[in-house]
Amino acid sequence: MSSTVRRRRAEPAPTTKRHPVRGLNGLPWMLPAFVFVVGLIYYSVGYTVYISGLDWDGLSVKAKAVGLGNYTKMLGDPVFWASLEHTAVFWVVTFAVQTLLGFCLAAIMHSGAKLPTLHKVLIFIPTVLAPATMAPVFRLFFDHDGMLNQILTAIGLGGITQSWLANETTALPAVMLITIWQWTGLWFILYYAAMSQIEPELLEAARLDRAGNLRTLWYVVWPSCRGTTVSLAMLSFIGALKTFDVPYLVTTGGPYHSTEFLGTYIYRIGIRQAHIGYAAAISIVLLVLAVVGAIVIGRANRTQREN
Amino acid sequence: MFEIRTVRARVFLQVLLALLTIPFVLPLIQMVQGAFAGLGWYNFVVVWQTGVIPTFFANSIILSVAVIALVYIGSMTAAFAFAKLRIRGKEIYFWLMLVALTLPEVILLSPLFVTFTKLQLYNTLAAVILPLAALQMPFAILLARNYYDGIPFELVDAARIDGANLPRLFWYVMLPLTKPIASAIVVLTLINAWNSYLLPLVFLQDRANQVVTLLPQFFVGEFSNDQTKILAAALMAAVPTILAYILMQKNFERGLSAGALK
Repeated sequence: MSSTVRRRRAEPAPTTKRHPVRGLNGLPWMLPAFVFVVGLIYYSVGYTVYISGLDWDGLSVKAKAVGLGNYTKMLGDPVFWASLEHTAVFWVVTFAVQTLLGFCLAAIMHSGAKLPTLHKVLIFIPTVLAPATMAPVFRLFFDHDGMLNQILTAIGLGGITQSWLANETTALPAVMLITIWQWTGLWFILYYAAMSQIEPELLEAARLDRAGNLRTLWYVVWPSCRGTTVSLAMLSFIGALKTFDVPYLVTTGGPYHSTEFLGTYIYRIGIRQAHIGYAAAISIVLLVLAVVGAIVIGRANRTQREN
Repeated sequence: MFEIRTVRARVFLQVLLALLTIPFVLPLIQMVQGAFAGLGWYNFVVVWQTGVIPTFFANSIILSVAVIALVYIGSMTAAFAFAKLRIRGKEIYFWLMLVALTLPEVILLSPLFVTFTKLQLYNTLAAVILPLAALQMPFAILLARNYYDGIPFELVDAARIDGANLPRLFWYVMLPLTKPIASAIVVLTLINAWNSYLLPLVFLQDRANQVVTLLPQFFVGEFSNDQTKILAAALMAAVPTILAYILMQKNFERGLSAGALK
């Protein structure tokens, strides 16, 4: 797993030490990447800020300056607020379920279950597949005569079968299920690695105290995996903000905007309806949320390095 | 790690594991079932005869290789500089780069659309390669820098005393030592480039330069409501990825893990 990567990181980092050798100018080595990244990304962000003050379709010569008009418009836009709410619900639910599943699967695999590689491969395959490739499959899966309804009928739940993606209340849970299906494999691998690094003495001590497996799991193993859990919380936060492929391809944000996310809404307004000024204003809000996330991650990374 | 003593508990866990694993397989079964429904293998023949499959795959390969090359060169040199060389105001540069770490690509759409149209890059692979590489690079630099940090300065000194200049130091000392993190970066970049959808969707309009992730939609246009052909196309797009993962499990898992924990 990532043990080599992590062990390296755990060593005391000598970055802050002033280095005595003269003439090691790093600027030419750093500059190409820096100019490329900062040039493209900061240019785009700056341009977006500029566009967000316009009423423009992106192609025509005349663009009307509207000041903060696009931002005030956003405050009164119910779809914008709905997108934010979906993003929040999506983050909390997918994170909670993936953590529960990933942690339990890792614990089961650490208990000497048979055929570990087979199970691991099957659970991890969704992580490497493109959501764009799987989207038509899920449209069928959740459809009226899809596999989900077949299974429900087979186990005697035929009464609740429906077109899951066409229903306002079930479309968002379906989108979350697809995401959970996709990412639980990675969660599992990371918890598995984290559990492998727990000191055997700790587990031995718990055993000597006659703590049962479940108690050990809750009082020793779960706290030891805290670092992983925090990283995954951040990862899924950023992931929720970036969500686009699945809702766009599986439900196109509908029905009635019930699976609209910031990403799909920006695309709908900016590219489809060619109101790129308003789309840019929403992009800026999304950017602010993402940057706050980046700062928190950067902090976490720094404390990790300093420890 | 956990000792499961009774046979009953063991059986229970094994059954639980199987029950938890099944839901992950169901969509794959649905995909295969749907792709073979109706005309069976003939669905694949029809899809293949459209002649676009090789083009889409070739474009995906070009796209991925170009993004990987840019990210690899950019991140290895920059991380070397950040970790081992002197730069005035180093941490400011580093932070400016980190801010780009979490940027959702949808933010880039409008400005890049306008700019690429002006530069006549719209509807070329470059319009996808450049932003993808720029989005992947901060992450790769962060990963690589943490790795370079673990390499002792004594090695740098020793090479300098032996008279190695910076390019030689980088090439003969640093690159060989950073292979593990480089392979993680390559795999992570490969997956992200290969699976990218939004940028190709917006910037690639001709079927001559479209990529694998756009296949299902292309066939939605081609066969309107014939689900079986669309799923056959999806399956053809998925199989190489699944095979690559099964053949290089460790690399994929390590790459994605490294990507997650930063």
